[in-house]
Amino acid sequence: MYRKVFFLSLCAGIFSAVACIVYQRVYFFALEAEYSKLVNIGSLMGMCVLGCMVAGIGFFLLRKYLPKNGEAIFNLGFVLLSFGTIIFPFAISLPLDIKAPELFPGLTVPMHFFPAMGWFALRNLFIKEKGNI
Amino acid sequence: MKRLVYPFAALAVIAFSAFTVIKSQDWKISEEYSIKFTSQDPSGVFRGLKGNVSFDDKNLAASKFDVTVDVATINTGNGMKNTHAKSAKWFDADKYPLITFTSSEITSTATGYQAKGTLEIHGVKKDVVIPFTFQNNTFISSFDINRMDYNINTAEPDHGASVLKVEITVPVTKA
Repeated sequence: MYRKVFFLSLCAGIFSAVACIVYQRVYFFALEAEYSKLVNIGSLMGMCVLGCMVAGIGFFLLRKYLPKNGEAIFNLGFVLLSFGTIIFPFAISLPLDIKAPELFPGLTVPMHFFPAMGWFALRNLFIKEKGNI
Repeated sequence: MKRLVYPFAALAVIAFSAFTVIKSQDWKISEEYSIKFTSQDPSGVFRGLKGNVSFDDKNLAASKFDVTVDVATINTGNGMKNTHAKSAKWFDADKYPLITFTSSEITSTATGYQAKGTLEIHGVKKDVVIPFTFQNNTFISSFDINRMDYNINTAEPDHGASVLKVEITVPVTKA
């Protein structure tokens, strides 16, 4: 089981990182807002993979110790945590040589939801179970 | 003919004396300038420095600064803070879009120079003395400003620092 969760976490991390990188490029071409000093391929890949791997540990533990409701709690928790972390792009003070910090949350807030979206999109490809419906 | 000698002599003296008036050196502000303000909270920078800089260390009497800073260029590194800083509660950038400084006298000091003049922020004019140095074609200045003196959010004296340290570095080239 943990092997499946591990690869689900890894793939969801890479998948969401690719989505973040695509979004970053689109955002740059649309608004010419350049934050590559802070938000770049390395940091996006690292944060997305790290986030999904930590989520994977949570998923595994919740499923193990709460087999009935563990996944529902995990899904809710993942979404709430993703939502809760959007405060950081608004609160952070960027280096003063970066222009237009007003546009920084517009770049990074959507990215906070990409790991959860990646996870939910790939979850059934890795863990196939018969539903109760 | 003799009667015309003195009028011509007077004209000659006036004409030659006109060339003896030494004009101070004009300088063009380089794009690499920085205007930083620091405090416990907030800190940031301004851009949008424009104006006339006329300075000659050998002729301080003819030297003069007449510069403006665009308030809307304030950058604290945080978008929300920038918006607040430009709002009516703080700088009120729509009503008072410029910070201006016009010198009235520049004198030398033991450590460099000082410019006496009028600093206008938020529509409030104050007579100030700004110390500065000029080396390698760069003006460097550091001084404190109390926002209360300029009626900036006086209703909340404890909301952020009242006294901010301003550090200005302005490289210039001969105009």
